[in-house]
Amino acid sequence: MGNASRLAIWQYITAIILIAVLTGHLIERFPPVTHQSYEQSLSPSTFYSRLKGAWGIGLLLLAYVALFHGLNGIRGMLYEWLPGRRREKVWDALFWILFIIFASIATYTVIALPAPTLPK
Amino acid sequence: MSKEEKGGLNGVVKTFRNLPGFWRASLNPWLIRVRNHPERLAFVLHRVTGAIILFYLLLHILVTDVPAYHHSWSSWQSLMASFNNPANHIGEFIVAGCVFYHGLNGIRLLLTEFFGVCIGKPERPKPPYIPPTAKSCQRKLLYAVFILAAIFWVLSGLIIFGVWG
Amino acid sequence: MALSDLKAATKVPPKEVTIRIRRYSPTTGKTWWQEYKIKPHRGMTVLDALLEIKAKIDHTIVMRYSCRMGVCGSCGMIINGMPRLACQTQIAEVATENNPVITLEPLYNFPVLRDLLTDFTNFFEKHRSVKPYLLRNDEAEREEPYDQYIMSPEEYLDIYEYSLCISCGLCYAACPVAAADPEYLGPQALAYAARYVLDVRDEKPEIRLKIVDTEHGCHRCHYAGSCSMVCPKIVDPAQAIQRLRHILYKWKLGMWRKKTARTASAPKVWKPRKPLPPEVKPVRPDIDYEAIEKEPVTIEVDGIKITLRHLIPTKADKMFGEERKRAEAQSS
Ligand code: HEM
Ligand code: SF4
Ligand code: SF4
Ligand code: FES
Repeated sequence: MGNASRLAIWQYITAIILIAVLTGHLIERFPPVTHQSYEQSLSPSTFYSRLKGAWGIGLLLLAYVALFHGLNGIRGMLYEWLPGRRREKVWDALFWILFIIFASIATYTVIALPAPTLPK
Repeated sequence: MSKEEKGGLNGVVKTFRNLPGFWRASLNPWLIRVRNHPERLAFVLHRVTGAIILFYLLLHILVTDVPAYHHSWSSWQSLMASFNNPANHIGEFIVAGCVFYHGLNGIRLLLTEFFGVCIGKPERPKPPYIPPTAKSCQRKLLYAVFILAAIFWVLSGLIIFGVWG
Repeated sequence: MALSDLKAATKVPPKEVTIRIRRYSPTTGKTWWQEYKIKPHRGMTVLDALLEIKAKIDHTIVMRYSCRMGVCGSCGMIINGMPRLACQTQIAEVATENNPVITLEPLYNFPVLRDLLTDFTNFFEKHRSVKPYLLRNDEAEREEPYDQYIMSPEEYLDIYEYSLCISCGLCYAACPVAAADPEYLGPQALAYAARYVLDVRDEKPEIRLKIVDTEHGCHRCHYAGSCSMVCPKIVDPAQAIQRLRHILYKWKLGMWRKKTARTASAPKVWKPRKPLPPEVKPVRPDIDYEAIEKEPVTIEVDGIKITLRHLIPTKADKMFGEERKRAEAQSS
């Protein structure tokens, strides 16, 4: 009894981080700021420089934080929809498994991204 | 729907579980017919948008991994080319709307649920008996959220469908 | 805002209303809709209508009620899709000449025993689970108090609203989380927890904070606010829960300490009373009122005679605590 607030507090802390990082991420595709068209902002060179630069750390943070926040939100909904002592253990396990899998994919993306060789 | 209910009367009387259930409660904002009650709608939208964004985020992480996974950019470019169609733009437009609403309403929820502000002050009930929650500034914030999210959504639509920028 | 239409009682209800009731029979396990037509009078409430149906048309419908004036909290039901107290809902408020149909359903989120009667066992179990009473460090003193707890009017107003709850369960029926999760503590129990956590006279808020800090406690609330919108006593559980949650997070992060009330002792020695102004002359000089006052009063109940000591306070009545016990032991 009395420990559910740990994850709940993280739900709000991640939300606070998300406000900053997600706004930054959305601005990346806002033409008046980037001076690129919406489609252009996805070209390999832009994409590479974005992920490999200093902002890459921010994007990785965004991935971790959004994953935690979103999956924890779904976990809460599952607690409401299908409660029960044994099932709740399954939801907790599912939450951590999905979080670790997708967080590692995101990490791998940032580390192993090859330099673009094709012309723009 | 009929189900034995544990409780003091278990086994004595057959009871009828009168639960609207998870889906109706989280998808139907008019499950309880109360006038002038936008918070319930806000709650349903926050849930639905949160789930949609999470679904998008998982796909987004997988798609972004494509060039790293294949160690080449050709697959990425063909993928991006295949995404450049109206159906996909409509999907992007929906996700964009979800993000704006969820993010803005999330700020309101942070203020009310986490920081405990904007929820009104307790008071002595007096006519016309409106609860402080319905009079407090979270209501105004909520209308602001609706309006701002709509504006951002229209702007994002202009960008996504190539009208602007 | 169940009481939003304050002028409802002055309105003229439609000439005839149809009352549709969702009925349930525990013996067959079937639910069905049944319709009754009644002619309402001005000022008639839904509960009056039900009682009229019960008296004149169909005596088999079952509902719960007691006070008929919004005090006991027994007559909650879903009236036209909104949880309301039947005794506080005017027919004229929910039925119009164009749409003279009133649908009545048993409260959502409660097990239905029969017709409109719902089982509150779990609801009260949850209420009990948050320890809805003052917790003091000195338990002996709590059980037999001889001091008073100091509470300022502001501190009182801080919890007054929450203490008005009549446990009618309307908030629980409106809550979208309770609609899915039968283990959720619910707005009523959580508001009660908040009411005691915020009460300066309570000294052990940690106990209650731990009780609500579970996966089916206060974290399941998503501030949909429906509880506050239907509460007939304007308890505002939504606000109470958010305040409780804010305190819980602060406490978990080590940033909250409760301000508790000190006690104020009653004066040990009573000052002599100021003499009262001289009494007016007795109405009938032939009667000795003082003698009557001293006469023992004898009441007969079921053939047993009970004699009451006359009610002039003795010395022991003016003392408190240990002193009083000693004085009583001496006199007996
Ligand atoms: C600016 C960014 C965001 C903010 C400020 C924010 C804020 C919040 C807050 C405060 C909650 C808690 C609601 C409650 O308990 O009542 C929440 C829930 C949730 N969020 Fe976010 N969020 C943001 C972005 C995201 C993203 C990117 C995702 C998806 C990956 C997401 C998915 C969810 C989900 C699924 C829930 C659970 C909803 C529920 O249980 O009703 N959020 N969000
Ligand atoms: S909080 Fe209001 S609606 Fe809920 S049980 Fe108490 S009086 Fe009824
Ligand atoms: S504010 Fe919380 S307790 Fe009240 S109806 Fe909404 S979810 Fe339920
Ligand atoms: S009968 Fe007591 S509240 Fe309605």
